[in-house]
Amino acid sequence: MSRDPGEAPASEHDAEPDLDLLAAYVDGVAELSPDERHRVAARLARDPAARADQAAVHSLLDQLRALPPEGAEPDWAAMERSIRGAVGPGVPRPWWRRWTVLAPAMMLATAAAVMLVMWARPAPAPVAALDERPRGHPTATAEPQAAEVVALWLDGAEVDVELSASDLLGADGDGDDDATAADAGTEPGLLPSTNLAWIDGLDEDAIDRAEQWLAGKNG
Amino acid sequence: MDSLAAGLPLLDLRSSGTPAVTSVDPDHELAERFRAGDRPAFDLLVRRHQKGMWRLILRYVKRDADAADVTQLAFVRAFRGLATFRGTATVRSWLYRIAINCALSWLRDHRREQPAEIAEDALTEDNPAPAQLSADDDRAWLRQAIEQLPPKQKLVLELRVFDDLSFREVAELAECSENTAKVNFHYAVKRLRDILGGDHEP
Repeated sequence: MSRDPGEAPASEHDAEPDLDLLAAYVDGVAELSPDERHRVAARLARDPAARADQAAVHSLLDQLRALPPEGAEPDWAAMERSIRGAVGPGVPRPWWRRWTVLAPAMMLATAAAVMLVMWARPAPAPVAALDERPRGHPTATAEPQAAEVVALWLDGAEVDVELSASDLLGADGDGDDDATAADAGTEPGLLPSTNLAWIDGLDEDAIDRAEQWLAGKNG
Repeated sequence: MDSLAAGLPLLDLRSSGTPAVTSVDPDHELAERFRAGDRPAFDLLVRRHQKGMWRLILRYVKRDADAADVTQLAFVRAFRGLATFRGTATVRSWLYRIAINCALSWLRDHRREQPAEIAEDALTEDNPAPAQLSADDDRAWLRQAIEQLPPKQKLVLELRVFDDLSFREVAELAECSENTAKVNFHYAVKRLRDILGGDHEP
């Protein structure tokens, strides 16, 4: 048990090892532990001087408690009103439940979460890759540029052939063939292929002339 | 008085780690109601403890009006802190801690404003012999004898005798163990008997 300057010196404690709880025994025996009660009671039973001390302590405590209170008591009702006015009508919240603390904390948490999400997102594709694509084909920008593996069967053997996007889309990379271009009527001199019913309306002379023209062209 | 202000540090208002005493504390329900938003519950606490706190504070500051001001200040601090009160001590001892802290702070702030006669009364060493005093002076002599006690013994004795606190509450306020409070109480009474002499023996 540590002692401070206000406590009794060690010599006093050592002189009365059984009686250092005498005043507490006299004033509040119920607040002593059974062991403490037994220790003091045993000393009182065998020591007449201790019993005299017990009576003197009792008397002094009675005198102390009989002292009239000091000072002139204030107007208690006025003090109540004064306190009520000083503290206000509301009940204060603990500091961790006040809006002045909660609002900045929530804003900080939100900002931190946004920064975390932005930091964790993958970087976008380089803009330079888009610039290298042919102009005039805006739909091709969404097509994959990576090589694609196509399995071909040649004489029963599987062979992987890497095809680039341009192979898959056509030589010009737009996926159209010549016939499609002819369908659009963009090449002069070629007959339209979408509706071939006009062939049935040709007479024999016309067919002969066409065959001769083709033979001359191929020959 | 100055020895009190100088010898006793401000008491720690944080939880002392002792087990909860809510089951035996009659003020616990009021504290709970206040924390739940029942504002008038605090007014009941004020009504119940303002007299005791005023008397406790008066023993430090000595003047009635000053004691009233410090009592009001202590209750305002209690009002702000009651929401965080965790019930490890009784509400009364928690309030009394605030009262003592406010009184000691007030003494430090007003040390030079204390009237000379009060300071002399508190610090006097050569008190007259009991035989020279009339019966009417007996009470004053008793009070002067209390003032001569060492600060810790004086605190324990006054809390126990004048404020009717349990030894557990005294220990909480004196920041010592309950056994130390009991021992200090015994030696305070013993020293008081020595100061008062044989006239006060039964």
